[in-house]
Amino acid sequence: MAQAKRRFRKDHWFFFTIPALVIYVWFMAFPLFNSMRMSFYQGTGLIPTQFVGLQNYVELFTNPLFRDRLLGALKNTCILFAICMGIQNTLGLLFANILAGRLKGRSVFRTIIFLPATMSVLVTGFLWKLILNPHWGAVNQILVRFGLKQFEGYPWLGKPETAMIMVGLVTAWQWVGIPTMIFLAGFQGISEDVLEAASIDGASALQIFWKVKLPLLTPVIGLVAVMTFVGNFNAFDIVFAMTNARGAPEYSTDIMGTLFYRIGIAGQHPVAQPNMGVGASIATVIFFILFLGVSMWMYLRERGSRVQ
Amino acid sequence: MRKQRRFSLLVLVVLVGVLLASALVSAETVTLTLGSWRVDDVEQVNRLLDAFHKSHPDIRIRFNPTNPPDYNAVLRTQLTGGTGPDLMYVRSFKVGQDLFAEGYLEPLTGLEGLEENFSVGSRAAWSLNDVPFAVPFMAVSHGIYYNVDLFKKHNLEIPQTWEELLQVAETLKAAGVIPFSNGSKDEWDMNEIVFMNLLPNFIGGREARLEYETGEVPFNDAKMVSAFKALQDIAPYLPPGQEGVSYYDAQQLFLLGRAAMFFGGSWDVAFFVSSEPDFEWSVFATPAPEGRPTVVTFHPDAGLGLNSASPHKEAGLKFLTWLTTVEAAQILADEIPGFYPLNQTSITLQDKHANDFYALHEGKDVDARFVWPELQSGDPDGYLLTQTAALAVVKGSMTPEEAADYLQEGLETWFTPTQKFKK
Repeated sequence: MAQAKRRFRKDHWFFFTIPALVIYVWFMAFPLFNSMRMSFYQGTGLIPTQFVGLQNYVELFTNPLFRDRLLGALKNTCILFAICMGIQNTLGLLFANILAGRLKGRSVFRTIIFLPATMSVLVTGFLWKLILNPHWGAVNQILVRFGLKQFEGYPWLGKPETAMIMVGLVTAWQWVGIPTMIFLAGFQGISEDVLEAASIDGASALQIFWKVKLPLLTPVIGLVAVMTFVGNFNAFDIVFAMTNARGAPEYSTDIMGTLFYRIGIAGQHPVAQPNMGVGASIATVIFFILFLGVSMWMYLRERGSRVQ
Repeated sequence: MRKQRRFSLLVLVVLVGVLLASALVSAETVTLTLGSWRVDDVEQVNRLLDAFHKSHPDIRIRFNPTNPPDYNAVLRTQLTGGTGPDLMYVRSFKVGQDLFAEGYLEPLTGLEGLEENFSVGSRAAWSLNDVPFAVPFMAVSHGIYYNVDLFKKHNLEIPQTWEELLQVAETLKAAGVIPFSNGSKDEWDMNEIVFMNLLPNFIGGREARLEYETGEVPFNDAKMVSAFKALQDIAPYLPPGQEGVSYYDAQQLFLLGRAAMFFGGSWDVAFFVSSEPDFEWSVFATPAPEGRPTVVTFHPDAGLGLNSASPHKEAGLKFLTWLTTVEAAQILADEIPGFYPLNQTSITLQDKHANDFYALHEGKDVDARFVWPELQSGDPDGYLLTQTAALAVVKGSMTPEEAADYLQEGLETWFTPTQKFKK
């Protein structure tokens, strides 16, 4: 009797996970697999009903109408990722290092850096669209005031060469507070003893940063990189707010999120007839890219911790 | 305590009474829903419906519009799921024809007043194989808005030919005024309200369009090249940094008096009137080149159709019949300036600017926007092709010849009548 009771207690934990499991399966796993299933179907109605096998994928990868857009969107998403890693996360690391030191008015700076992250993407997108406007935007007026006459009326968001970079920079501006906070927590987690030992050994501040702090922060950097990666490959709102769902101009700001939205959900203006099957296959491709990226990170992390 | 109980009993009695009364009333009247993408005109359409309710007290119609970019998708979802509105705004040509072909719309053959009050051209926008499926409801017109004060200041006349228009633009530019405020940041407006606005002046009206659609001439003939050339002509007169100028920016540049002209549509009238710019403004028809007749892009925009699965078809048909009357057309014209009734009977509009705009097409040949009737049912569709080509010509990355070839080669991939010109 007593033994049975104990066994019941041992298995008991499972019942507590049921509510979470139900929610997870119903709202996450089921839609995910259903969307994958939908990528094998075609049809015009509410639910595509005609089974077509791999036809949607064949279309997506061989029909130049889809393929060129998919490759373009992949390229632009990579540019966005590069900008976010190179500028947003590097600045985040720098800010965190400064904030972790004995700076006067730390909390004021911390608030300022984090403030944009609390704003709606649609609002920041709209504001920056105004700031970058060729006719009444502040950026051009400041540049012209400084004597750079060639920027008079320069359409930052209208040129394919600069549009994606601008969108990337605005994303970086908005979200720089998040990596800053995570890195700050990471820096504060480094034991004072280690840093003290390093400085007693005669290491300069720069050496301490490169040789002590940074290696200890590697897991956090990995985490931030993965978060940025997932965020960028799922991004949609900032492009929608700043340029449009077609990735204007000339698809130069078309990223995975806008491509999926355009093909799978909204359709193209003015007919606006979405192709849900191909849309679902794009979603599946995005899922596999994310899956690969995150698995790689987990593998590296596992290996890293085993070596340690 | 007792008082309270008596009070709740009273409330209950009143509630039951109200319920019973409303049930009795609703037994007499049928309520229909009207789906639409015009979220901006709720009050105006409700006044139109009130006029109908007055003469038909047994029918109630509830206007229930959807966010415009989502309308097509939402409507299709509702219709497939059996929850579609009884009556609905139907897009002209391809989108409406698809819905009808799939059986979601009731055929309106023989509807009283339909043939008598509407021209073949406007009925064609909502017909498939000569079977009408919606009552032509609203059209939009295209033209060029201009700042009358600026024109006076620089001694300019309304241009009658395309050449004169360019002359006017040159004079304005020399005087430091932006001639045209349009830009290409939003992309669709350069295609829809600049290129398709001027296009029929260079290729001709409906007859000419049919020549392209039946494969008599290829899409890269000299006339099409000349239309793209016209875009190249106006490119230097667009605002500096036009690639970054959105549709809204273009309206503002005009309203602030910084640009003298704006290629626009009649739907802008209401916005311009309500913005009250501090100068006098008006519109003129986009002029044709010397020696060609001026053709106005007068585009059938919305029809009204009946859900074939509606339980109140009879009431719905009554409403559609009423819509074909001059009475309904007059109310529509007065309530929604800039969207014109398609009724053949001549209508006078109360709004001066809307009336000026309406007058532009009278006595002239008119046509729908070029790609709407036939060129949207394949991939890549005609709209996307003209848009890409138009933007490239304005930007200077395609010559007019290359743009016309691009259009032809794109359509060749699926549009059968033109495939014989394939090289």
